[in-house]
Amino acid sequence: MLVCLLFAIRSPQSAILTQEPRGKAAYDKWCAGCHGDTGAGDGYAQAFMLPRPRDFTKGVYQIRTTASGELPTDADLRRVIDEGMPGTAMPGWRERLTDAQREDVIAYIKSFSQFFTGPAPTAIEVGTAPRASDEAIAEGRQVYEKLECFKCHGQDGRGDGTSAPTLTDDWDQPIFAADLHGSWRFNGGSSVEEIYRRLRTGLDGTPMPSFSDVIDSKIITDEQLWRVAQYVRSLSPEEPPPVREVIRAHLTEEGVPSGPADTTWARAEAYYIPVVGQIIVKPRWFSPAVEGVWVQAMHDGSRLALRLTWTDRSRSPDPAWDEWLGRVRQAMTDVDGPLPSSQGPDLLGVQFSPRSGEAEPPFFLGGSTRRPAHLWRWSSAPDAVTSGTGTGLGQFTADAGASQLTHAAQFVNGEWQVQFTRALVSADTARAPSFVAGRALPIAFFVADGSNGEDSVRGAVSAWYAVYLDVATPTRVYVAPGLTMLLTAGLGLMLVRQAQRRERNSERSNSEG
Amino acid sequence: MSRVGAWVRHPFWQAVLLLILAYLLFKFGIALLPPLLGMHSAPVPTSVVVQYMLIALVGVLIHVSSDETRWRRFKEPIHDTMVDADKRWVRLAVLILVPLLIGWVTYDQTRPKVEAPITLRSIHPAPPSQITFRGKTIQLTGLENPLRHRGSLTEHIETGKRIYYQNCLACHGDRLDGQGHFAHGFSPTPLSFADQGTIAQLTESFVFWRVAKGGPGLPREGAPWSSAMPVWEDYLTEDEIWAVIIYLYEQSGWKPRTWEESTGGGEH
Repeated sequence: MLVCLLFAIRSPQSAILTQEPRGKAAYDKWCAGCHGDTGAGDGYAQAFMLPRPRDFTKGVYQIRTTASGELPTDADLRRVIDEGMPGTAMPGWRERLTDAQREDVIAYIKSFSQFFTGPAPTAIEVGTAPRASDEAIAEGRQVYEKLECFKCHGQDGRGDGTSAPTLTDDWDQPIFAADLHGSWRFNGGSSVEEIYRRLRTGLDGTPMPSFSDVIDSKIITDEQLWRVAQYVRSLSPEEPPPVREVIRAHLTEEGVPSGPADTTWARAEAYYIPVVGQIIVKPRWFSPAVEGVWVQAMHDGSRLALRLTWTDRSRSPDPAWDEWLGRVRQAMTDVDGPLPSSQGPDLLGVQFSPRSGEAEPPFFLGGSTRRPAHLWRWSSAPDAVTSGTGTGLGQFTADAGASQLTHAAQFVNGEWQVQFTRALVSADTARAPSFVAGRALPIAFFVADGSNGEDSVRGAVSAWYAVYLDVATPTRVYVAPGLTMLLTAGLGLMLVRQAQRRERNSERSNSEG
Repeated sequence: MSRVGAWVRHPFWQAVLLLILAYLLFKFGIALLPPLLGMHSAPVPTSVVVQYMLIALVGVLIHVSSDETRWRRFKEPIHDTMVDADKRWVRLAVLILVPLLIGWVTYDQTRPKVEAPITLRSIHPAPPSQITFRGKTIQLTGLENPLRHRGSLTEHIETGKRIYYQNCLACHGDRLDGQGHFAHGFSPTPLSFADQGTIAQLTESFVFWRVAKGGPGLPREGAPWSSAMPVWEDYLTEDEIWAVIIYLYEQSGWKPRTWEESTGGGEH
């Protein structure tokens, strides 16, 4: 080790020679499980994730600062290793590996490909973002249409364009066009600058091209490309949505909204609930299409309405997505049995504790035979909702008799919008909970995209959250502070008076004395 | 400069300064300590800060009142504010600000609060002395990892690595920190094996029990049942579980607790 160090100091050539073996040690231990011993992206986990781990042997990299078709710079590689790639299984390694280890790993990763032997690649020059404004974003929208971004990313940017089901990467794996409403999951970062860079460099290895040549051939200006980046950024919230445990049902006096398109929904705050692959009971699902649902709730003292919206690239079943399903079937592991060969409907499940006021909710995965859960189950084809009892994922018994639950659903350019409405008071308190104002009730979600091979077990699940029904603020909230303020002020004045009187008395006695 | 010096030497301002320092220490200082020892940190709860501040206040009062002169000097600024003619504006400000503060605290206490239902959970529930694994009875007490005395350790590590990457990765992560790409969807969040409070404190037989039986196999005091840990006996053989346990200790660098050290069988 010491010898190595001495040599390393003496000549840069030997530094590179010792870097690779040290990089191999760290790589084998921490990276090979996904990226494979030979860097071919064929590690143990390869068929358990989509997108698959990067194959380093081809020298093709998505996130670069260099021109399309070129190799990444060392700084580009370092950035991905340090910070990871949001929206994928690649984490950041800054806290796990030392600075030196990460540098060594970069040297070793480059050794997997023969292409890194030439001169070092250089980053393309980019200016700074012009000031954003409503007009700028409107212009960005026009350029988005001119460049035909919608063909893959869809009219509303949800990744549901007509070409979306046909997309594959350079390794013939299926790849989703990004949902532009979830910038916090963009592989190369969410800022306007980062989005602009992706537009200039393209995402090599994926169908996402570079638009540098469109500027060179004067079809659009550089500023217009910045406008596209600003438009894309404007589709997502400013900050990644915080995950909050309690969904508040807004109290309205005008009755609950009539459907998911009702404009009064704007009054209820939207809560983001992340959902992840159901990898707990058989058959597990490692590549869910849906990554989160937005939930809004409102009540008027007699009825509760829930509005759920989520990005889904297809209104399943949709024949246009048959080839997509075929590719997913080939790409993903069949360790728990083969994926369905035909598309089912899209599914949404909303799950409650069957009795309000119980300390412990049932098992979060659809309940259990010992402690069942109450479920609202919606399916896209036929468009119908059923309420019933769950005794485990996929184990569902519909309620007998007339249902109190109603719904309305619509599919708008890659987004499902579903509203459920039910009376607060349950007709069967043994099976379905009553909702009580001022009380929080456990709630959990399940979503499945039929076109992605998902069904009532293979899908995306959430943990337990809670829905709290707002109450009108009681008068004591305003009366009590007033009273305490009066009391304290009175007490203060009394103390001051007393002290001053005592002071005057003692002065008088002093002068008398 | 000398005026600042006089202030700092005055018992009243000393007490104020001490209380401010104590508050900063309780509120922010304590949370900075665990990272120095390489442990995870969390903000100090308000109720704890209030308790500590009360203790600090009592301590300061005992100190200033323990000496007659000091006590008198301590009271001077308070007395002056209440009495002196040239301090009327300060007096007025205090008489307005303090009731306002009290009013705000009352409002904060009485307004309806939105809280999730409280759930309790023990992190390391006591293991049973024996379990049934796919119909076979396994005695946990005193049980060692059989693979440590059988076959090639290198092969066991490689088998364990394959099983980990195909089954555990999505939650527990390739950094072993419980932050796999699905971890954010679950509550409680998956355990970090890098943390010195998890497998580093357990015997391999305890880990075997937790892996084999998962969340649904937790005893009653381990409730709620919201742990997303699967029942791995449905997926993995006995040897496969032992192999992944070997991989966990190898990869994390921790040593499992042995039965000689742990009299209670891994309960904490």
